[in-house]
Amino acid sequence: MPLTFIDIEKQKSWRIGILFIFLLFMYFCVSAALFQGFLLIFPVFFLKSGFILSESNLPYLLILIAFSLIVAIIHFCFSAFGAVRSVMDNLGASPPDPEDGIHIRLMNIMDEIHIVTGNKRKITCMVIPSLSMNALAVADLKDDAVIAITEGLLSRLTRPQLEAVVAHEAYHILSGDCLETTIAASLFGMYASTLEKMMDPGEEGYRGFHPAFLLFWLLIKLSNLLSMFISREREYRADAASLRMTRNPLAMAEALQLLSKNWAGVGLISTGIEMLCIVNPQASELDESEGWWADLMSTHPPIRKRMEILLKMARVSISEFGAKASSKTKAFDISDTPEALYYALDSKQQWQGPYSYADLASLSWISPLTWVSAGPTQTVERASENTLINKIFTDRLSQTEKEISAFTCPFCKHPLFTVSYENTKVYQCNFCGGILVENNKIPRIIARREKKCTDRVKSLAKAVLIDNQRKLTIKKLRSVEIKTKSGITCSKCKHPMFRTFYSLAYLIEIDRCNICGVTWFDMDELEMLQCIIENKITPIVGLQQIPL
Amino acid sequence: MTVWILIAVIVLFILWMIFIYNRLVTLRNEVKNAWYQIDVQLKRRHDLIPNLVSVVKGYMEFERDTLERVISARTKALSAVSLREKAVAENMLTQALGRLFVVIENYPSLKSNENVMQLQEELTSTENRIAFARQLYNDLVANYMIKREVFPDNIIASLFAFRGAEYFSTEKADRILPVADISIGTK
Repeated sequence: MPLTFIDIEKQKSWRIGILFIFLLFMYFCVSAALFQGFLLIFPVFFLKSGFILSESNLPYLLILIAFSLIVAIIHFCFSAFGAVRSVMDNLGASPPDPEDGIHIRLMNIMDEIHIVTGNKRKITCMVIPSLSMNALAVADLKDDAVIAITEGLLSRLTRPQLEAVVAHEAYHILSGDCLETTIAASLFGMYASTLEKMMDPGEEGYRGFHPAFLLFWLLIKLSNLLSMFISREREYRADAASLRMTRNPLAMAEALQLLSKNWAGVGLISTGIEMLCIVNPQASELDESEGWWADLMSTHPPIRKRMEILLKMARVSISEFGAKASSKTKAFDISDTPEALYYALDSKQQWQGPYSYADLASLSWISPLTWVSAGPTQTVERASENTLINKIFTDRLSQTEKEISAFTCPFCKHPLFTVSYENTKVYQCNFCGGILVENNKIPRIIARREKKCTDRVKSLAKAVLIDNQRKLTIKKLRSVEIKTKSGITCSKCKHPMFRTFYSLAYLIEIDRCNICGVTWFDMDELEMLQCIIENKITPIVGLQQIPL
Repeated sequence: MTVWILIAVIVLFILWMIFIYNRLVTLRNEVKNAWYQIDVQLKRRHDLIPNLVSVVKGYMEFERDTLERVISARTKALSAVSLREKAVAENMLTQALGRLFVVIENYPSLKSNENVMQLQEELTSTENRIAFARQLYNDLVANYMIKREVFPDNIIASLFAFRGAEYFSTEKADRILPVADISIGTK
């Protein structure tokens, strides 16, 4: 292995040549077969022999070769030169948002990788708005190189883990693996997907079968073999390269473990480009097995083996690592470390509570003079005297320096403030607590889990879900439209907004403007939505009295 | 006949010399470039620190000691001249910043402040960039030294006076891991 990452391996280019010859051969076979078929049906008398492949028909053979060469070149150029753009469009990827805290982190990490590789190749990064966890690297002959990461992965990895994943993908690009794999995937991808559709039994149960497709199938399998031939070895080398860059084997092992336990994007990432991903989206048993057949046929090495190698370098045993990992995943548990709880005396001289710090901050009637106490036997003091609770008020004061955005609240007509929610920019009304979110930011907010789901929001969510489930059933029974005009106008484009449920799976009522792509959440609705999705809360389904 | 062979050999020899010389020149310049790249990242860190200190100062009256340590380490780093002095000063600055971040963990309202989080991300990124720039520099120096000292090439190197380059190394004392100091109050 070269000493620095500056030596880009150029040995891979001969394989691209072979791929082109393959393509040419395929087209030649197809056109020869078609022409032969044509001859059998309509015997053309200026041919000396009825069989196309015999030597006496040499000039026609040459024409056929020339024709298939032209078609092959056109196909090659179209797919190999525009591969990056087509793959990115297919996945719905977009460049990172410069106002989003976590996207900024990704951009910084890309800069760092450029530094460590000596700036030899410009790599752009894109974000795929999906909750799955995967990363892929694409490169084409136009010299574009892109690393695309899903929102789900971005939100669930810590910074060192993200660095390890990005370094792994960057090595694939710099060593030329990516170029070859992208070209192979894009060249035969089109035929592979049509072949898949052909082989699918379909609704009538009739399987169409044509002799020409047998040839296609054979050629595609052979080309796959060619690419997969050293595919497993490549992944090991990329892991090692990522280590040399980041020098943190534990982070890479942790990232691999998280990747193996979660949805890796099957259904989103089409077959053919799965070779470009860090973890196989269609994780199969073949991948996890070892031996020469598995080495030949599968695209990714078994994750356990990869982790073993990494952990050996870190001198941590697998069982120790497993124990540490399970203690870290507790961070996603709702029932966390017990927070300090307080009781507060309201204006009617009644003790209300217990409240956590976050709940206290959201109380509308709390003031610096409110009496608070940690419990029945604890001291009672003014809110301003408790240093922690006093922070609520000092924070409120400092928060009035928030930026006022150009939008107004659709209900209260007050200007909306620009607030950072889950590390991304949203607009909030200070008066009614409602939030305006652009639709492309919603997958991010759902994927991120920094905001804890409090008990108050959870119980609110359950109650709202049951209520909404009833409303939905009533609407369906009465054949009433689920989507109704909500009577308010969109803050951005001033068109009327529609009140509907976020989705039929998550029954939270929201107002949506489809023209400019924003959604209005009333107070707590966004938190409830996050809470429902994270904790998989479902309404109780059963027979209920529905008033008619 | 032998005259032609001799000429061919001499021509090949000269070509080889030119090839080796050019390679050494390229590597030497890459090393110099990488050295200055480190300076770029160090300067970025020096510029970010006053921002962080001013944002944090309002919240942390009891931590004046830690803040002052950061400020003084920065001034020392700005005024260092030789490579040795610079390495020492920058390492001390890294340690002071590390201690400051550990202290920030104790103030939840500060931790959730958006400005502080952004600055923390920027400083973490800068620390990483400095580390990567140093890594690249050391890799390039190693590459250059190898090409300079390998047998046939070292003749050319000494002929044209290619000087060796120095690695960016840490002092032995700095190899001791800094202990996270989380005690609040005056020290």
